[in-house]
Amino acid sequence: MVDPARSVQPPPPPPLTDEEYAKFCEFFYRKTGIQFQDNKKYYVERRLVERMTKTGSSCFRDYFTMVRFQVSGEELQSLVNTMTVNETYFFREDYQFVALVEGMLPELVRGRSPRQPLRLWSVPCSSGEEPYSIALSILERWDQADHWDIEIHASDIDSRILAEAQAGVFGARSLSRVPRQYLEKYFVSLGDGSYRICDDLRQSIDFSLVNIVDPVQAKRFRDVDVIFCRNLLIYFDDVGRRETVETLYEILVPGGYVCLGHSESMSRMTSLFVPRKFGDTIVYQKPQEKAP
Amino acid sequence: MALVKANPPGIPAVGDGKPTPDGPASGLPPLIETGPSVEDLLAALDAEESTTRRSAARALATHPEAAMALCDRVEIERSPSVRVVLFTTLIRLQSPEIAARLAGLLRSEDVALRNGAIEALQEMPAAVAPSLRALLADPDSDVRLFAVNILGALCHESAPEWLVEVIASEPHVNVCAAAVDALAEVGRPEAVPALQALRARFPDEPFMTFAIDTAVRRIEGR
Amino acid sequence: MTEAPPREASAARPARRVLVIDDGITMRLFYRSVLEAAGFHVEEATNGVEGYEKALADPFDLLIVDINMPKMDGFTMLRAIRRDRAVLGVPAVTISTEADPADARRALEAGANYYLVKPVAPDLLTEVARLMTGGPA
Repeated sequence: MVDPARSVQPPPPPPLTDEEYAKFCEFFYRKTGIQFQDNKKYYVERRLVERMTKTGSSCFRDYFTMVRFQVSGEELQSLVNTMTVNETYFFREDYQFVALVEGMLPELVRGRSPRQPLRLWSVPCSSGEEPYSIALSILERWDQADHWDIEIHASDIDSRILAEAQAGVFGARSLSRVPRQYLEKYFVSLGDGSYRICDDLRQSIDFSLVNIVDPVQAKRFRDVDVIFCRNLLIYFDDVGRRETVETLYEILVPGGYVCLGHSESMSRMTSLFVPRKFGDTIVYQKPQEKAP
Repeated sequence: MALVKANPPGIPAVGDGKPTPDGPASGLPPLIETGPSVEDLLAALDAEESTTRRSAARALATHPEAAMALCDRVEIERSPSVRVVLFTTLIRLQSPEIAARLAGLLRSEDVALRNGAIEALQEMPAAVAPSLRALLADPDSDVRLFAVNILGALCHESAPEWLVEVIASEPHVNVCAAAVDALAEVGRPEAVPALQALRARFPDEPFMTFAIDTAVRRIEGR
Repeated sequence: MTEAPPREASAARPARRVLVIDDGITMRLFYRSVLEAAGFHVEEATNGVEGYEKALADPFDLLIVDINMPKMDGFTMLRAIRRDRAVLGVPAVTISTEADPADARRALEAGANYYLVKPVAPDLLTEVARLMTGGPA
């Protein structure tokens, strides 16, 4: 750490060469599954220099060696935190909701008894934009919605954010991608630019406080058809990620799907799932295991 | 309305206070709920159902005394998903004894099993270190290659030094190539003379020349 | 990171697309430099799962597949691809470190169309890639 009492600040670390940038990107991708394009160099570099300054590293080489060999993985975690923007709004990464109603759900109901409900789980659900987007997508964009009982479960580890999700009040920024006709049909204007989602919709979603890392808590979910688990696994270390992915696998029905964030990929985590392409997005399917 | 609110068995709604006990198991075996003994879990490792075996393998992650039984099981387990969970548990329980057992799997003809072992060993730097010397000196060049693959991803500060030792003495071109590949990420400037010397040992191998150039560029950062 | 690959091998025909799947960074860059010099468009994947994902996401004319890779090995990936209607027809060459005839048989059984042994000579790689893709001329 830089000592604030020192009168002379050390010089800022020199900028990264292309080779250093490439080396960092490959390592970061291998560890986290997060991929940066070449045009992100400025963005990545600024944040790297910030971390280098904070840790008192004089050059990229020293800093990289520290991150690469740190057993606790603490600095890698700090990097993930600075490199990722954790924002949520309605219909974020909408192509995945399109893939849900056009690809995954039609496939899941093929040959299914109408008495068997479809079970969807949003985890972490944060302030609720994701589970409500799932609900709106199903009601407005899936022509078979009325033929099925559909359960939407939404969980988060943070009780305050979960209370916000249940309250269902959203500001203009969060609602910017919600079509006007949805706003009129499913929301109540509160007058100050914010809207509250209608009671019917709020009450149709089952919110619960769950720490997905705790297998006993997670195990209460079972036979789930689709899990939305976006931008969560990047925050775990290697073993924690393995275990959490295995938990998701256990919770899904055979043939069920996991949807990850757009910069994430299962390919850095596990071979348990089969990638499937629906429209423009790749999702991950639990195979029907043949051998017992 | 198409959306129905339903709590699946055992899921308490928010604000319920205490969790409700699980109802009759509809898929998962009752193993964990009742706090089974290690003996029960070990027996369940050989169960018919892969779900039961996975569940037992996961639950054994808090039982170091089960380590050797888990190693026995991973050697014969056929289901890829159960294997994955067994390896995760062995990573959790990591010890030099487990590492030594997993090192034995580097000789397996089953590529998926072998790679599972390599990945698990990469996650246990302190435990695998004592086995690595012997693996790097193994008469079988494939085993040496896999040892270099482990070393290359290992979070161990001696790794760069050991990789330099490999390229200084290793006779097999593919093992050297794997070490050069690893040095492109973890190598320090001290590795450059050894890389240059290696170039002279394989002058007719275009790939080796290319790989060494790449590694040196990466190490020097230009 | 790397130069933009030539999009067009000739005015008449777009460059053949090759997906290189190998966990070694120097290996991927080597295949890339050799194949781009011969007019191919090259993309990379670092293990079998990622290779499968990329093969699904975009069409390729050829897969070059390493055998020993983390998460999913080359054999397992090929078997999965050969079962998947979306990608089952794409030609694949495996590249192994083992010059073992049993390994060659396993590669072909898993669904490879051709089998090479490391280290691969640049000319041989180019020739095989041309043979398998019917181009570039």
